[in-house]
Amino acid sequence: MPGGFPDTPGAPDPAARFDDALGRVDADAAVEVVDGLLDAGADPLGVLVDVIAAGLRRIGERWQRAEWTVAQEHAATAVAVVATRAVARRAERVPATRGQVVVACAEREWHALPATIIACALRTAGWRTTLLGAATPARRLSQYLHDLGPDAVAVSCSVLGSLPATRHFIEAGTAAGIPVLVGGAAFGPDPVRALALGATAWAPDARAAVTAVAGLPAVVPTAPPLPQAVAAEQAALALAHDRLAADLRVRWSPTARVVGTPPLDGVDGVVGSVVDQALHAISAVLLTGDTRALSWTADWAEALLAARGADPALVTELGDLLTAALPEFPLALDLVERHWDRGLTTSGHLPT
Amino acid sequence: MIPGTTGPAAGIPAPPLDGPGARTRGGDHGPGWSGQHAELADEVTTALAGSLNLRRTVLRLVDLLRPRFADWVLVVLADHRLGRLSLHGGTDPTSTDSVARNPAEDLGVGRVLRSGQGELLHVAPDSPTTDGLDSLIPHDALRAQAVDLRPADVLGVPLTARGSTIGVLVLLRGGDRGFPAEDIALAERIAGRAATALDSARLYEDRSRVASVLQAGLRPPSLPRIPGMRIAAGFRAAADHSDISGDFYDVHGHGDDWLLALGDVCGKGVEAAVLNGRARQSIRTAVHFDRSPAVVLGALNSALYDDGDARFVTAVCTRVRPGADGGAEVTVAVAGHPPPIVLRADGTVEELAARGIVAGVRPTATYTEVKDTLAAGDTLLMFTDGIYEARGARGFYGMDRLTRLLPVYAGAGPEAVCEAVEQDVVEYLAGRPHDDMALFAVFCGR
Repeated sequence: MPGGFPDTPGAPDPAARFDDALGRVDADAAVEVVDGLLDAGADPLGVLVDVIAAGLRRIGERWQRAEWTVAQEHAATAVAVVATRAVARRAERVPATRGQVVVACAEREWHALPATIIACALRTAGWRTTLLGAATPARRLSQYLHDLGPDAVAVSCSVLGSLPATRHFIEAGTAAGIPVLVGGAAFGPDPVRALALGATAWAPDARAAVTAVAGLPAVVPTAPPLPQAVAAEQAALALAHDRLAADLRVRWSPTARVVGTPPLDGVDGVVGSVVDQALHAISAVLLTGDTRALSWTADWAEALLAARGADPALVTELGDLLTAALPEFPLALDLVERHWDRGLTTSGHLPT
Repeated sequence: MIPGTTGPAAGIPAPPLDGPGARTRGGDHGPGWSGQHAELADEVTTALAGSLNLRRTVLRLVDLLRPRFADWVLVVLADHRLGRLSLHGGTDPTSTDSVARNPAEDLGVGRVLRSGQGELLHVAPDSPTTDGLDSLIPHDALRAQAVDLRPADVLGVPLTARGSTIGVLVLLRGGDRGFPAEDIALAERIAGRAATALDSARLYEDRSRVASVLQAGLRPPSLPRIPGMRIAAGFRAAADHSDISGDFYDVHGHGDDWLLALGDVCGKGVEAAVLNGRARQSIRTAVHFDRSPAVVLGALNSALYDDGDARFVTAVCTRVRPGADGGAEVTVAVAGHPPPIVLRADGTVEELAARGIVAGVRPTATYTEVKDTLAAGDTLLMFTDGIYEARGARGFYGMDRLTRLLPVYAGAGPEAVCEAVEQDVVEYLAGRPHDDMALFAVFCGR
């Protein structure tokens, strides 16, 4: 077990017991695991990263593999929230000897728990933290920045659809000279997207975030503007999102081709997610230049559909539909043509 | 103009060459140094416009000036409220301290503050004393940092904005570089621009402090832990930067008897929030005497009516008494408010049939109570009209959409229910303006 948790002979490993509690939606059991580890002297940061955040990641994987419904995912996440609060209650006792950090999620980001974990980790490390909830408007963040004058802003972004709003957070922070640390699944496995969006630093997890915050400069210059052409096209694409998504849902045919046992979650719901995600991936690539966001989204869609008994070739069909739907968006169209199904197993190119 | 005050007759001893001064010393700026900061004054204006926070504004100013324009920068601000001078910067730009103003009154700093005129201190390179630096750096540790730099010139320029000198910008250049006349003129220009930003930030901070103290009682409360139950809330103000609104929720009680209240005062913004505070206080007081929802709402009605305010409040009160079987007895009364929804553990959605007049428009009002039993896994959800009246591209969000959304969250817990509804409504709005929104859920079970 990473993190060096104390061993209780004969007891199953804490992370497994935690996952079990999530699966049974048993908040008491989850808190018991966390309290047990902390009582035995485990490092709170290790509990946050190796037990709670790891459990959270497996929740998402279970949904993706169609083992869980969205509602089960929400219920299990709520249990993880309760467990995080148990760590947070102890973190409050740590003297706040360092500066202040505002932790937030931008609009369209509804996964509040990763931000809660980051805030708790920073608090454990002696930072004063102010946690703003899910889907926080940039104006609310700005209000807090002016009122508090923090040393840093930490932004958690799990979904590609929130990257444009995260960019607004980066603008709000750096315009006030405040360094902005970003992290979360939407940034991928390296700092490419984070730096393209003008963030001061990127961290892959809570442990790295604690290290990164300590190394941030006191003052940063305002993030430079994004290239005008891509920013304009991304803004136009965002305005057209609802129209494009509705149109693609109607034209795309996965519902008719579902084979095998009925999926746990409605295929309709997955269709919506895949279509939204595809459009958000295009926006993400426009803003960051990281074309992997598009090919990885196609891979993700393929896995999602396959887990629900649908034909993975539908992802190629969606690529064609996207191409047909985007004539007014030349940059986006070019990206889809070059990068959408590059990694798909059905087109014979395995991602490396 | 700077009336050149010629600095201490005695100079300053040279620090040991391998001391910290050798490290922190200003870099070699090379030829044309002065010419390179022609645009600095404009940069100060642009950069300092980005923040209304005093601390961040000071940090940014220090960051812009060091090391480009000076080797060491201190921002001295007069705090009239406390009669002190706050000192920001030095070797560590984030450091902040304060000293009493009176002792500094007759020193250079005090003179600059009173006269609005700058002072320049020439430091003789081989003089044996550091006393002269007191004049512009009235702080032992900061002065020691300055001494380490073996300064040639120490410049104190007034930070004057809107007719008042609010502070002094202290700039220091080490080694053999002093401040030539054109740099002094530039320093005065920079200080003038910085002063406006600092003064705005100071004004904002004063207002913000007042507002935050006054708002403290109007913010949504933190929720207690109720044995055998879980409660959660969701909240979004119409003014999306704000934490206060006309919607409220509260929980009162202890042990096995609790009252959960949620309400909506007519109007928006600060005025609504103030009425919201009165309504919450009335409920809090009423609960102290009787936890019956009908009695609490009756008291709220009378209290608001007696205030003589034409505005009204809608509210729902739910008394929750957890039982030994993991369920709970609930008693509900409403005052012109949509009744709570019960989401059963099996996914059935029921609206409790509670009805009653809005509070605050009649001298007396009688409210009727509706009883229900929650079993383990059941969720009771209270909400304000900002939820179902959220207006998206396809009209109102509507109660139908709410009741269709809920069944899959049966048994998922109150956090999941509140989050799912909030997310669905906000995504439905797709960035359009909305009214204040509040959700309050109680769940039977762990």
